[in-house]
Amino acid sequence: MMIKSHPGEGLLYQYAAGDVSAAMAIVVGTHVDMCKACRRTVCDIEQKLCEDNLDTIVNVASNAMTKAQCDQMLEAIFESSVCSKLENEPNETLYLEGRCFTLPRTLAHNSHRIGEWSKLVGKLWRAPLTLDNGNQTNLIYMAPSAKVPEHTHKGQEATLVLDGVFNDERDEYRDGDFVLLDPSKTHTPETREQDCLTLATLDDPLHFTSGISRLLNPFSSLFFRA
Amino acid sequence: MQMVSGRTSTRGSMNTTQTDAAERAAELLASIAETRSRAAFSELFRHFAPKLQSYATRQFGNEQTAMDLVQETMTNVWHKAHLFKPDKGSPSTWIFTIARNIRFDLLRKNKKRKDDISADDLWPILSEQNDNLDDGYSLDNDVLMQEISQYYAQLPDAQRVVIEKIYIEGKSQQEVSDALGVPLGTIKSRTRLALKKLKELIVNDD
Repeated sequence: MMIKSHPGEGLLYQYAAGDVSAAMAIVVGTHVDMCKACRRTVCDIEQKLCEDNLDTIVNVASNAMTKAQCDQMLEAIFESSVCSKLENEPNETLYLEGRCFTLPRTLAHNSHRIGEWSKLVGKLWRAPLTLDNGNQTNLIYMAPSAKVPEHTHKGQEATLVLDGVFNDERDEYRDGDFVLLDPSKTHTPETREQDCLTLATLDDPLHFTSGISRLLNPFSSLFFRA
Repeated sequence: MQMVSGRTSTRGSMNTTQTDAAERAAELLASIAETRSRAAFSELFRHFAPKLQSYATRQFGNEQTAMDLVQETMTNVWHKAHLFKPDKGSPSTWIFTIARNIRFDLLRKNKKRKDDISADDLWPILSEQNDNLDDGYSLDNDVLMQEISQYYAQLPDAQRVVIEKIYIEGKSQQEVSDALGVPLGTIKSRTRLALKKLKELIVNDD
């Protein structure tokens, strides 16, 4: 299956350089797990970054390490013990609503960070993925024929389809598709016959824009705050 | 046929050509992984530490933090050399991605708590677990056979021999390493470079 919606090259560059938030890194990284083309692009960018930042450095600044400093650091390294940070066993399987999903590598590595599922408006479910103090990204599950009320975003929203398909006004998004939403555009995601599991991050709460759903605004942070 | 001998080579420095430097670094990483050679690590350190220091100084503008990045990066290289996959990329790119991760964590250090996500969770390059992601350079076998028969004659001798043994004689990289008396790391990096070169030849021919 072809993935048709990818992160822009600028975002892949920031990802490869480590210049993204943890939330954006996990969404882009999971897309990269799923997308061979972006994986290759990221490899090329890493190589380019390395050439620019390491390989071409010939003359070193005046503060260059002295031989004594080198020897001292070498000694410290040889005496260091292997970092005993316990690796959490990756868990690739996610069960929800009678369905079994397989998580891509980066998410599987962080499956222990996935919190409890809670039911939201309509046929939506959410589980937080806690990254660090106060920051999280969300797994959103949309059952078939679910609809998120029309909304805009104050911040940037990145959504990645992990499994299934959803539509909005502009297009249809399937497994691996990465969607970066422009804050100025309204957006009404919905599912039809199929369900959809997504990973979504946003900087600010949603802002619902139509009819009765505007009543949700005071509470929207309860639903989708990332 | 030109054959560079492996770890017993008398070539000392890494500043010949880029390819030689990459091959040398791959050999050093292999011997660090296999024999915990301090001499090999010291050579690698003297090559990379000043470059890392320069990168880190530009990133942080703080000498002490820059030295922390150098030390943490090279400590990972010392302990995790066995995780370097020569067929996936060059040694310097691998070391750069380790430094990139250390930088990400150092930038967040004052905010960081114990359970916070770390760069190694986000970019799991140093994970002990095998990943099943496709190798970006692997090509379909049948296609490879056809394409190679046209193009492999254009490869440098040292790379062509490796490609012949692996793809025509069906040997494993380890077997080729044993047969030629060349370190496994070198075989892997020659395979990678050869496949890359072949890809270029194929693409340019379209």
